[in-house]
Order: sequence, then structure tokens, then C-alpha cells
Amino acid sequence: MSESKMTQPELIPSPKTTFQRLLKPLGTPLLSIAIAFIIGGLVIWLTSGSFQTMLQAYEGLLKGAFLKQRGLSETLVATIPYIFLSLAVAVGFKTGLFNIGVEGQFYIGAICAAYVGQVLPNVPAIIHLPLTLLAAVLGGALWAGIPGYLKARTGAHEVITTIMMNYIAFRLVEFLVSGPVKDQYSTAVQTPPSAKSAWLWSLASIPQRLQDPLNALGAALFIAFLAYLLARWIIGRTSLKTRWQQGHQKMFICSGFALIIGLLIFLALPPISRIYWPFTDQYDRLHIGLLLAVCASVLVWWLLWKTTLGFELRTVGANANAARYAGINITRSIVVAMAISGALAGVAGGVEVLGVSDCHCLPMFFSSGYGFDSIAISLLAKNDPLGILAAAFLFGAMRNGADLMELNSGVSKYIISLIQALALLFVAAPAIIRTLVSFRIRKQIKEEHPISTRPGG
Amino acid sequence: MRTITQTKEEKRFSLRGKWWVTFLFAIFALLTAYWLLNLIIAGQCNGNCVINTLSQTLRLATPIAFAALTGLLCERAGIVNIGIEGQMLMGAMVGYAINLFSFQVFKQWIDPAMAGSLSRLMAVVAGILSTVILGLLLAVVSIKYKTDQVIGGTVINILSLGVTGYFYRQFLSQNLPAGPGTFPIIPIPGLSQIPVLGPILFTQKPLTYVMLILVVFIHYMLYFTPWGLRMRAVGEHPRAADTLGINVFKTRYISVVLGSIVAGLGGVWFTLEAVDVFNPAMTNGLGFIGLAAMIFGKWNPFGALIGALIFGLGSSVTSTVSIFRPDIPSQIPQMLPYVLTIIVLTGVVGRAIPPAAENTPYEKQ
Amino acid sequence: MTFALQATGITKRFPGVLANDHVSFDLVKGEIHSLLGENGAGKSTLMNILYGLYQPDQGEIGINGATTQIKSPHDAISQGIGMVHQHFMLVAPLTVTENIMLGQETIKESTRLLGQIAVLDRRTVARRILALSQEYSLMVDPNAIIQDLTVGAQQRVEIVKALYRNAEILILDEPTAVLTPQEADELFVIMRTLVKQGKSIIFITHKLREVFAVADRISVMRGGQMIGTVKPSEASQETLAEMMVGRKVILQIDKDDAHPGQSVLRVENLTVEDDRRHMVVNGVTLDVRAGEILGIAGVQGNGQTELTEALTGLRRTNSGHTFILDHETTLANPRKVQETGAAHIPEDRHKHGLVLSFPIRDNLVLNTYYRKPFARGIELVYATIEQQAEELIETFDIRTPSILTPASSLSGGNQQKVIIARELSRPVKLLIASQPTRGLDVGSIEFIHHRIVEARDKGAAVLLISAELDEIMSLSDRIAVMYKGRILDTLDAKSATREELGMLMAGVSREKAHV
Repeated sequence: MSESKMTQPELIPSPKTTFQRLLKPLGTPLLSIAIAFIIGGLVIWLTSGSFQTMLQAYEGLLKGAFLKQRGLSETLVATIPYIFLSLAVAVGFKTGLFNIGVEGQFYIGAICAAYVGQVLPNVPAIIHLPLTLLAAVLGGALWAGIPGYLKARTGAHEVITTIMMNYIAFRLVEFLVSGPVKDQYSTAVQTPPSAKSAWLWSLASIPQRLQDPLNALGAALFIAFLAYLLARWIIGRTSLKTRWQQGHQKMFICSGFALIIGLLIFLALPPISRIYWPFTDQYDRLHIGLLLAVCASVLVWWLLWKTTLGFELRTVGANANAARYAGINITRSIVVAMAISGALAGVAGGVEVLGVSDCHCLPMFFSSGYGFDSIAISLLAKNDPLGILAAAFLFGAMRNGADLMELNSGVSKYIISLIQALALLFVAAPAIIRTLVSFRIRKQIKEEHPISTRPGG
Repeated sequence: MRTITQTKEEKRFSLRGKWWVTFLFAIFALLTAYWLLNLIIAGQCNGNCVINTLSQTLRLATPIAFAALTGLLCERAGIVNIGIEGQMLMGAMVGYAINLFSFQVFKQWIDPAMAGSLSRLMAVVAGILSTVILGLLLAVVSIKYKTDQVIGGTVINILSLGVTGYFYRQFLSQNLPAGPGTFPIIPIPGLSQIPVLGPILFTQKPLTYVMLILVVFIHYMLYFTPWGLRMRAVGEHPRAADTLGINVFKTRYISVVLGSIVAGLGGVWFTLEAVDVFNPAMTNGLGFIGLAAMIFGKWNPFGALIGALIFGLGSSVTSTVSIFRPDIPSQIPQMLPYVLTIIVLTGVVGRAIPPAAENTPYEKQ
Repeated sequence: MTFALQATGITKRFPGVLANDHVSFDLVKGEIHSLLGENGAGKSTLMNILYGLYQPDQGEIGINGATTQIKSPHDAISQGIGMVHQHFMLVAPLTVTENIMLGQETIKESTRLLGQIAVLDRRTVARRILALSQEYSLMVDPNAIIQDLTVGAQQRVEIVKALYRNAEILILDEPTAVLTPQEADELFVIMRTLVKQGKSIIFITHKLREVFAVADRISVMRGGQMIGTVKPSEASQETLAEMMVGRKVILQIDKDDAHPGQSVLRVENLTVEDDRRHMVVNGVTLDVRAGEILGIAGVQGNGQTELTEALTGLRRTNSGHTFILDHETTLANPRKVQETGAAHIPEDRHKHGLVLSFPIRDNLVLNTYYRKPFARGIELVYATIEQQAEELIETFDIRTPSILTPASSLSGGNQQKVIIARELSRPVKLLIASQPTRGLDVGSIEFIHHRIVEARDKGAAVLLISAELDEIMSLSDRIAVMYKGRILDTLDAKSATREELGMLMAGVSREKAHV
């Protein structure tokens, strides 16, 4: 079995050298995106007949994405599911699996969250919210785990099985939303709205939420946990590492740090936020799911490059035979990878239902199309969690801005898909750009020396 | 990136690729369907109804068979084509658009009936052209630039979704002139009078006949001609073919083009035979189901046909049940073809071994 | 004296490598000319140029006195050059007839107009194959499917394939790699027959012994250059080896006597199936003790690969038992086998031994990453991993710019060193080394042989599987010969002779020999 073509040497992406790292490998993706936009512009010009229209279109895109009233907020809102879904796809790719079923897992996660969100009306948020997200996670994990298991045991190609699971998911959710889980009290075909305790807090409403001591406690615990991890990471990276080498000492310091932060949040943040809070009403749709998404990104990075499990998954993806030799259980790895992937995709669905939708429920025509885009994002970012954040942001901006673009210039939103597909094409085959931008001399040399591994002896 | 291929782990339950197993399974599926049908409809489905269902089976199997044949032609030469879905979608849209607009042009000069036939023919050609362009894109990306073919195919799908969606919104969603409609049913004189078989086999629209002929033709090509022999060699052991003077790259390009032509036929089926309208993403996964049928048929044309028929059966049973039992929510039986696909892929019906060199770019040393 | 083929001043460059450096080579009509050189010397490149697979940067080729160009295999074939590659160029699921006619298919005349989609005429081809088969005493069955044939039969098919195309010049690339000494002798008989019928043969090998059996002239290549051409009568194994390597080569390794201790590996009546459900290991029983090297000799394809895989957990055992230090490991997975103290140098380093896209640092912990001190719980401790990587690179002299270099950038010898470093970096009770020096240069081979003996001297039990009889004879303390899935006999290495081993490798057990 030959080695992969797209995997680059597996160095740990380290946030410390982020800037240096970003520059070099950024070249190709950036160029691809730029050229894709140019070609997209050409298409608009040709099909609409006027250069003016093209300018209006791109102007609308830019304004809609960032500059207008709620531009940035909405862009971030659109980015959140992209982050989760692309991470899901990336985890699959790293293990050598093509999880095209993220769309279906997204739906299943959504329905699970919608159900749990409304079936327990009187549970405090500190329990309800995590529970609902857990439901989404489990739903997505199960939906992806099935094709994963089938692949591992029978070799059924996961591309096709996951796509089939997508269609089954669509029908299933349609059936559930219009039948067993339908809202009796509404004329619209949708699930009953979730209880407020299950909603993901919008950034604008945080001060209000924090007034409830239980909520403040929940927030404090969560932030304290993050603080603990942060402290641990900082200690590990700096020279303090040697000073506090002892495991016990390290834990002590970190816990102390976490405790302080936690108390601060619990005691100080609620009153302070009442007085001053930077997120105004503009941000009443942007929710803490963003924080969760970034955390998920870090989590995936840590998982893949810092843990034994991640090592196993990457090895299976790079060379399954060597993985077996190394004692790695391939079946388990495939199922676990798919489950994690599905879990991430499911969370995306849950987050969409609990954070964004107007009714905080799942409507019948809950279309997303986030799925295929995420595959493109993951490929554009070469499955690197940091790159995924950037690419997801770009796609979120495009998706959001497309509405204003269409309003402004009449150009259909679908041009975005075209541009994205082109960008993906160029990233997948970077040599195409080289040909297009005609570095002729280099090309000539390349042709005379065929790419060979080892000339025979 | 490479997707995992099989490593030899535990023994898997399989009825090791025996042809009679496939055949028996097909018979079994047919009988089950009939029994199920009758049960669910509690005797409301009489002889005519069954014949209609079977006729519809062949009809619905047509796009799946086209997709399977496309996949077959590409994979036998070593190119995995995941983009069939996107190709068919593009073919459907282009076919629809050309049909509509060329009709407007033609009917100014000739009578509507002739104009209709002519515009439909033009539409088929145009649809095929569009799928061939996409196919060439896949071929270039996979052969010349040696990208992973599954990624290449996914790019085709995304590209197709984007382009068809865009053009649909811009031009095809409103204020459309009246078109000439789809191909009419062409009953074969004489043969269509045969009881039972007549209505099923010989009273179909033209693309279905084309499909059946294609199955036979491709089978002949693959196993009885030099071209087929070379193609199979290229798909199994390209270096061996290379050392005998066969141009591996050219063979693969040609195979992808031929496959794309078949995909074009499959694509135009949607808008020139099935319904006279285009909806975004109207192919509904049939491209992928076609791939499953191809695997089911072990990369043989006749096997692929049987696979397509089984899936077609699933779909037609679904719609018949929906008619007679409106009390069952439509989504449940709609899931049937997809579940069936998964069952088939898990190899319950024999493990299939694909052409050895598929998804491996050929490096001329 | 007419020259069937003359190549002058052939130069071929690849990125970073000068594969052929002004090489000149000629072939007299009706001779068997042997081309010697170790792996990486440039022999295959030269042959690929002669067969049209590569184009030379400089140089000229002449066939039967006339200068000519060979731009593709098609050209080569039409000019009478046929090549039998080391790895057979046969399409497994197709029949012999189909393989032979591939590329110049015979079609039924009546359908000629259809061109490429005319009807194949298998029968005519089959008849011609049988005729050729008779003429050159090369038994082949036209209707057999390649994947059902034995290796020897496949090789015959390859030769018939060349003859079918009227090859006058035959290039045989390492043909004896997959044959027993007796089968190799049969091949030499075939070669002499072909030559008597007027063919000329270029015979590539790296086995010194063989050239004396059959060559009329011997040319030696080294580092991309043609070192010299001699007659067998003018040379000896030692002089040839020196030409091949450029320095004096000690062909035998110096080792102390073995002091075997307790039994470490005990195999009882093992049976194992291959991927096609054939029973390729048919009841193997053996015993390896601490401090000794048991070598398993035998031609590739007699079950050694499957046996090794079964012992190391990569393949299921059908029946029988395996014990490592009295722990039953019959159905154990690779990790459990390793944890009993076994180390495995796999046969195919690219398939099993390394992850080519991973850095060396990761490859060095490929099967130990989960243990302390490389991991604490679920978290990897890169400090320790990197420290070990640095140490091992030192100790084992692995040539690499850094520990983060991907394994794919290393040479074959260094890649193998990575694997050995990894396996020998932990206390080893049992070392299973499968084809450990395949495809490597002499320097690496010497290094690896030393390490294996070193492991044995430190008290490990070593099971060595190799298709190179010389390697087995020089390293082993005891030699077991495997034939068709069984151990025919086990001999003491000091007293075993090549002839004895050769007979066993061909399936002739001692009892049978004494009629």
C-alpha cells in the first residue's frame, strides 16, 4: 500500500511558531482562493453581462460579511458550525477515512438536541445545557459509528455508506419532525421549542444570564477548567517547566491558578458585566458556541498530536499495515475515529438548534448544505486545526455575505459554491496553479526529470 | 491522502464472490418484494399493479445502471470516479436548458413535433458534452497531477452543485418558456404486445433501451476485444501494460471519457425522460447508488445491471406502497433504497475485489 | 564476431543521482553476458534504457551494427529486444494467452474493420504458444490463469512472452531471485538452449556464484559506472566482489560459537492459510533457544512469509501452538507478541516496518509509543521520545539531517537501520528477522549482520528468515529448510553444504536421496 500523496511530513503544529508556520504553507491555499475569486468574478461578468454587476457583487459580499451592522456577528455565527464540521471531516481524513456523512450526522445531532432540549422543562441550565449537547454528541457519534463499524468489519466503502446514511438521516428527521416530535401548538412544522435552560447563551445576553448564581457557577467551573489547561500548557512550554518539573507541584500550581480564575468569574464577573459589557445587542445572535468551537479545535489538535490515541489514528491513516505491525487495533481505530468525527458533527447540529435558530427548535426545512462545504474547508486547510479556524471563518464570511451580495447585485448566492469548488480544485492539485500562472521555466525542468523515487540499481 | 484499503485482518463472513449467490440473492429479493408488496397492500395490488411496478423498476433502474456502467468503465482502467453524481447532475441541467432553449429556436423554422425531437437530441449531445468536460477534469487531476481520485471526485461533485445551483437560480427557476417535454414512450412494434413482458421490457422510453443495449455492448467490449483487454490490464497492472507498449495514460483518459459519455446519458435521463423540470440536487444520491450497484455486480456489466434492477425494485416498491397505503408516512419506505445499498456494500452478498490498480496514480518510472 | 547489441557512453541522470555514467556495454551474438553489481549500481537503469522505458541523456545504441533509437518498449520489442523483469509483468487475473498477446492482439480476420473493438482470437494465439513451448522446452498452459501458477511457471510465461514477440535479445533481470538452486540450474539449461538457437542473453544478477555457471562474459557495474568486463576463466568470486564493492570484501562474517540456553520460541505443528485460503504452512514445528541463530532457508513462496506473520501476530494461525518463553502466543496480536519480549524486523520495510510520511522520531517509537516513558497515560511525552531518537541515531549511525526528517527521505539502508534501531533498543528475548538485508548495499548488509550476531551474543534467540542462502549459511548456527509449508530438515550450520541445502530447498529430503 503506497503512502499518501497529500500528507506532508507530520510535524506537530505548534501554536508557538504560529506566525512562521502560517506564512509558508499558507502560500498555496491563499493563492488558490485568490485565483478562485478572480475566476468567479469572470463568471459573474460573463453571465450578467456587465462589469458593474461584478463589482457590486463583491462589494456586497464584503459589506455583508464584515462591514455592515451585524456583519461580523453573523459571519461568526455561520463560522461556528463550519468549524465543528470541518474538524469532524479532518479527524476522519487523518485516519484515512472519508466521512462525507457529516451532513447527516449534523441532522441527527440537531434532532437529538432538539428533543432533549424540550423534553425536560424544569432542569437548571447548568445541567440541561451540557445534557443537550451530550445528546447531540451521542447521536452524531452513533450515526457515524455505524458506517465506521461496517467499514472496519466488512470493508464497505465509507464514502458510499456515509452518503446513504445522509439520505436516511434526512428522511428520518423529516419524519420525526412532522410526526412524533412535532410541536402540537404551532402551525409551523417543527419540534417544540427548547426550554430556555438549554439555550446556548448569546453573547449579548451573558450579563443577564450571569445573574442566576447557578449559571454563574457553571460558567465559573467551565472557565476554571480552561484556566487549568492553559496554566498547564504555559508551564510546559516555558522554562518554568524545569522549576516545577514534579508532577504534584505542577498540578498544585495549575489548580491554584484555576481556582483563582474560577472565583473571579463567579464573584466578580456578574456585577461587572452588568455595568460594562462589550457585546451589545448587535451580538444577540452570536452565542457561546463560538467558544465551544475554538475549544473543540484545540481539543482536536491535542488529541491528534499529543495523545497515544491520536498517534494511532494518524498511523492508521498513513499506513494501515504498519499500524497493525505496531500493534494498533485497526477496527477500534476506525470506529473511534468515525465516532469522534460524528460526535463533532453532531455537536454542530446541536449548536445550530440551541444557539441560532429563531425558535430554538428544529424546523422541517432545516437545510444546511454545511456538510459539503466542510469537506472543502478541511481539504483547503489540509486538515490542520488552526488552518480550519481560518478557512471556516472565510467560508462563514462568504456564506453570510452572499445574502447581501444577492440583494445588491442580483447575482445568485450559488456563485459562492462555484468559487469554493474552484479554490478546492486548486488546493487539491496545486500544480494546476503553477501551470496557470505559468512558471514556464520551472515547468520545463520538472518535465525533463520525472518524479521518481529511487532509480533502479 | 489515501483512504484505507483493506488489510487482511480477521476472517470475514462472505460467500466468496460466487456468481450463483448473486443470482440467488436477486431472485430472493424479487420474491420478497412481491410478497411484501402484496402483504402491505393487502391484496389491493393486482396483476396490473405488479406489472406496473416491474415496469417502473426497469425505468428507475436506468439512471442507476448508467451510473454503474460509468463507474465500471472508469474503475476497470484504474480511475475511481466518485464524481458520477456531480456529472449526472450537470448533464441533467445542461440537457434541460438546451432542450428548452433550442426548442425556442427550432420551432420558428419547423413544426413543433420535429422541433421537439431535434431539441431533445441536441440536449442529449449537450448534456454528454458537459459530463465529458467534468470527466476530463477528473482525469487530468488524477492522471496528470496525480491527486487522490476520491478527492478529485468530491471536487467534481462540489463544483457541479455550485455551477448547477448558480445557473438554475440565474436562469432556470422562473419565467421559463414552454418546452417540448420529455422523450415519449416508444413501444417496440410487435414485441410490446407480448403479455407481461411486453409492457415491462418493450414499452419504455428510449434511454432505457439504450441502457440495455449498452450493457451488452460494454460486456462485449470488455471481454472480447483488444481494447477491453488492454483496459483491464491497465486497471490491474499498469506497469505490465506499459512494458508491452500500451500507453497507460491514454488508455485511462479514453476510459474516463467513455465513462463520462455514459454518465451524460444518465444525467439527461433525469430531465429528458423522468420529469420535465430541473431541481437543484435532483439526482438524489443515485450516482452513489450506481457505484454500489457496480460493486455488487463485481465490475461486470451484467452484474451491474442486476444491481441496478434491485435498487430500482426498492424504489418502485416504495412508490407503489406510498400510493396504496397513504397511512404510512412516506419517508419510511423512502429510506429503503439507501438501506439496501448499505446492506449490499457490507458484502453480505459476497466480497468483491476491485481492479488492483485503482486509485493509484501511475508513475512512469 | 558480430555484436547483437552495442551501447556506448550511456549517461542517465535523475534528480540528485547519476545512475549511469558513460557506460558502455556490448553483447556478442549468441553469448550469455552477465551483468553484475550490487543494489543501486545502475544495472536496472541501463536495462530499462535498453528496453525503452527510459531515455538516455547521452550515448548511442546500436543493434546488429546499425545505430538506432529505442524510444519506448514498443520500439525495443520491434527491434527484437525482450525483457523478463525481476518483478513479473504479468496481469494476475488474466490467462496466459491474454497476457502473452497483450499489446499485439490477434483478432479474427472477419472483424478486422472494427479496429480496436474487433473480436479477439484467443485460439490462434494459444496454438502459437504451444508451438513455442515445444520448441524451447518451456512448458506453459495457455489457458491457465496467472494467479494460479507457481513462480517458476510464471517465469516461463514471461520468457515465452518475449519469444512470442520474436525477441532475439533477451534481458533477464535477477531471474533466480525466486528459484531454488535446482530450478536455477534448470533455467540455465533453458538459457543455453535459447543461445544455441541463436538468441543472445543479458543475464543480470548480484549472486556471484551464478555467473560462473553460465556466463560467457561478465561485466561489473558500480556506482553508475562500468568497472570492467572479464571472462569467467580470468576471475574469481573474490575479484568480482572487489570490483562490485570497490574494496576488499570479507564474504564470511566472523562469529564466535553459539552457546544456546533455554528454549525461547517453541512452535508446534503450526498451520496457516494465505490470503487465498490455501494452506501454505503445513505443520511446522521448530524450536529456537536463547543465544542461537536458527536460519530458515528456502525459496520465497514456500510459506516463510506467512509463517513469520503468524508468529508475530500479523496473521491468524489455523491450528497448532506457538510459545514464547512459555507464554502461549498462538492467537496473540502483534502487541502481545511484542510484550513477551519479541522483536520483529519485517520483510517489507515500506509496508510494515515504517510509516514513510512520519518523521524518524515517530518511527522509532512506532510500536512502543504507548509505554512509559514515552507516554504518561494517554498523553505522549515528546521530551523522552526525542531524547531516545537522538540517542538511537548516534548509536546506530543513521544518516539523517534531523530526527524530524520523514522516513521517506532516507536511503534503503538507513530506513532498515531505523527499524533495527527501534527493535534492538529494548531488551530483546526473541528476534525475528525476515529478509533483513533485502535490497541493501554491502555496507548496510555488513552492519546489519553484525547487529544480529550481537543480539545473539547478548542472549537473544534469533529466528532468521532469508532467501539468500549465503546469508543463512554465514549467520546461522542451525539451518532449517522450508519447503511447501513444512520444515524438511534441520541441519547444523557448520557441517551443512550448499548441495545438501539445495536439495532440501527443492523438496528432496535426505531419506529420499538414499535410494
